[in-house]
Amino acid sequence: MKLLAARRVPSAIALALVVTIVVLATASSTRVGVALSVAIDLAIACAFIVSVPELKTRHPVVARALLTLLGLDVAIFLTFFFSSSTNFNLATGAAMSIVLLGLSFLTGASGQISLGNGAFMGVGAFTMAIWANHHATTPIVFSLLIAIASGALVGLLLGLPATRLRGPYLAGMTLAFAVAFTFILSSFSSWTGGDSGLQLPTAWIAPRWLDGFYHAGTSPLTTTTLYITDVAIVVAGVAFFFMANLFASRTGRSMRLIRDNDVAAELVGISLPRARVVAFIVSSAYAALGGALLTVIDNSVSPSTYSFALSVTILSLIVIGGIGTISGALIGGVVYAFSTSVISWITTHTGLNPQGNVASQLNGIIFGGLLILTMLFAPFGIAGAVRHFWHRMRSRPPG
Amino acid sequence: MITIDNLSVSFGAVQALRDVTFLAETGQITAVLGANGAGKTTLLRTISGLEEPTSGTILMDGQALVHKKTEDIARMGVGHVPEGRGVIGEFTVEENLRLGAMMAKVNLQKGLEEQYEQFPVLGERRKQHAAKLSGGERQMLAMARALIAEPSVLLLDEPSLGLAPLVTAQLMLTIRSLCESRDLTVILVEQNASSALRIAHHAVVLHVGSVVANDVASTVAEDENLRQYYLGLVE
Amino acid sequence: MDPFLTSRVVTDILGGLTNGVTFGLVALSLVLIWRSTGVLNFAQGAMPMFATYVGFALLSYHFGYWACVAACVIAGLMLGGLTERILVRRLYGKPEINPIVVMVGFLIVLEAVAAAIWSSTPRSLPSPFSSIHWQLAGKPFALSPFTVYEIVTAVLVMALVAALFRFTKLGLQLRASALAPEVSRLLGVRVGRLLTLGWMLSTAVGVITAILVSTNFFSGLTPTVMDGIFAYGFIAAAIGGLESPIGAIVAGVLLGIVNQFVTDYVNQNAVIMVALAMLVVSLMVRPSGVFTKSTQRRV
Repeated sequence: MKLLAARRVPSAIALALVVTIVVLATASSTRVGVALSVAIDLAIACAFIVSVPELKTRHPVVARALLTLLGLDVAIFLTFFFSSSTNFNLATGAAMSIVLLGLSFLTGASGQISLGNGAFMGVGAFTMAIWANHHATTPIVFSLLIAIASGALVGLLLGLPATRLRGPYLAGMTLAFAVAFTFILSSFSSWTGGDSGLQLPTAWIAPRWLDGFYHAGTSPLTTTTLYITDVAIVVAGVAFFFMANLFASRTGRSMRLIRDNDVAAELVGISLPRARVVAFIVSSAYAALGGALLTVIDNSVSPSTYSFALSVTILSLIVIGGIGTISGALIGGVVYAFSTSVISWITTHTGLNPQGNVASQLNGIIFGGLLILTMLFAPFGIAGAVRHFWHRMRSRPPG
Repeated sequence: MITIDNLSVSFGAVQALRDVTFLAETGQITAVLGANGAGKTTLLRTISGLEEPTSGTILMDGQALVHKKTEDIARMGVGHVPEGRGVIGEFTVEENLRLGAMMAKVNLQKGLEEQYEQFPVLGERRKQHAAKLSGGERQMLAMARALIAEPSVLLLDEPSLGLAPLVTAQLMLTIRSLCESRDLTVILVEQNASSALRIAHHAVVLHVGSVVANDVASTVAEDENLRQYYLGLVE
Repeated sequence: MDPFLTSRVVTDILGGLTNGVTFGLVALSLVLIWRSTGVLNFAQGAMPMFATYVGFALLSYHFGYWACVAACVIAGLMLGGLTERILVRRLYGKPEINPIVVMVGFLIVLEAVAAAIWSSTPRSLPSPFSSIHWQLAGKPFALSPFTVYEIVTAVLVMALVAALFRFTKLGLQLRASALAPEVSRLLGVRVGRLLTLGWMLSTAVGVITAILVSTNFFSGLTPTVMDGIFAYGFIAAAIGGLESPIGAIVAGVLLGIVNQFVTDYVNQNAVIMVALAMLVVSLMVRPSGVFTKSTQRRV
């Protein structure tokens, strides 16, 4: 409150603006009108508070929370204007960005890498579907938490032996897990539904109190997609918020020390194996959350989604986005959301036969190629390249 | 003969060697002395091409060594016994020697016999893993491994490190006799200045990368200032 | 006549041996690269797969089986050498995840390009020997002429690699440059060339594995044929201790036999889970590898 007191005049103006817009919006009571007004209100409020410079240094958590709110607000606002298919892609991208965030944390914090995050996603996705099929009445948030816990548990199981060792053990073991995952699913086919996978018993629709937003004269399919997209974006926002705090916390800092200099880390009393295991568990839990969300988005889950190829796609996305960074996960999620459209655009514009061998392999060739090129020439991906460029621009003398 | 002219080496912002100039004559031992971090090891590594100089030249009998690959420099006849000896512990004594003879034009069997004659203890332990040898034996193995290729230049990096005084004295005598009998150019890097000066013909003293003395060994040995400030030899 | 030879246990052991030698070969090729360059080559299955496609392209020009095998090996040697020179050389001394990521990228590119050129439909390779199992007193015996050929070839390759490393000048230099690269250079060993040679060699070993695996009646040659074999090969190498070639081979063979018993007594799907569990347990109990003497693993 002290912070706000310093800027009493502008805050009064902002408050007045907010009130006006809310009144106007309620009067108009169309879907877009409501969305618009709420979005603008929140944006003004957040932008105003974030602009207070002391906030960032004195209350970084609050600043991050507001920044997240601002981002969420803009994203949700935009979804009202996008087509259903774009929104669906965005929702998938949001789910994927959560998975990427976990992997980015693992590498950024401990210098290790997992090649099996697609399988950890699968753990979350199937836990979600199985739970929903057996306990249809469970609130969705609770089911998501169960999925997260299952991912963390499997992560603990595999991570405990592998993270004690340096070198490629974790990578190799997670690869083996990714390859094994489809076999594991078939082994428990009475639970996992075998090759055809599982359907969720009920589609997930917006609760009544949000009716004003989501049920205003459009087809049910569109509103459901819109609602789920917004939910996915919110969940991703919460995940990013937690991760940003984790990165900046004491734990996060000590983990980065391990990555940069493990001898020094041990000297200041950080337990290496424990830190590595924790980082790996966090990344598995995030992957499971992403997978569970994907189940909700698709309203079903199929074992073929969670093949080894998915793990590799995840790896490619985070490397392209910028491994070890938070923004890299966001960039990777956006890339994933639009990669299918871009690749089919390439197919049509290069005159490839869409049913041909080359077109069907374009995904692998492009992602694999980008993976190699990024690692060789820009090891911190797009996020790293942008940051590098930004610093160069700023350090250059004027004129 | 090794001629070093205005040699400078930098690691990022740190300058490890600064305009180093000296001459190591054939058939003589040139001792390179100085405290820890004076740049002695860097000097040898630069001669062997393991470090790239920022400026300056190194000539071996008139041939330039700078910008050549380490393995080519070795093949030109520069034997380098690195700090810590570089004996491969997982190999037997004989395997270490065979590795040393790999590039030599000499007959392997003859070379082995010669080295076992020079260092009888190695002959007794030829089938043992090098990791099982004592410090002095390892030093002998490292030297034998360099000598079996019949080099014309021998670079020795802290051969006395970790050896008992008696063993060190013995080793120094061996180095002297090898140098004379094979007409070698020996560059001997040592922290143990007194034992190095006892056998060296010539001595170069380095201090934080620069040459502070370059003279006949006996002259360096008698210079009170050098003894006190750079060589740590106080009566 | 002798019911023992056709008993369930013997059948499983011999059947497991047939698979186990291929795991052992993959594990061996992984260990060779890991020891010499500190890179776990995740494309160790894909590179041989690609070379096998290239070599067997000669089939359509009416070349015989052995000519194709020779072509595969040559293609493998070239691919291995080029990979080391062009890709891997830039990765030495980089953080540990860089080579992992690049080699995974290479795996994806190779599999995708192979599928783009040759399609992902399995293609059956000709076999020089029949894969019909012998009969003993009216009962099927575990081995066929082809599986004997498979085992003999694998053992031969292992013996050749061992002999190369133990008894030749080249092997001495290869071992030295893996153990002490800088010292080896000081002794005039051309370490750079030897690393290239190491990659060529291990890819060639992989090619022979890939040919044996894809000649198998059931699988055939597909772009992803080596994925599963690679996973088992890695598990074997890690159980045996990544530093130990002998450990890798032994662990590979044992893994093959255990797999066969699990297939027979439990089911096919449980196999990889048991293998994973074995890896987890072995890393917990003996992180330095079951078949290594000391704890020399870099922990």
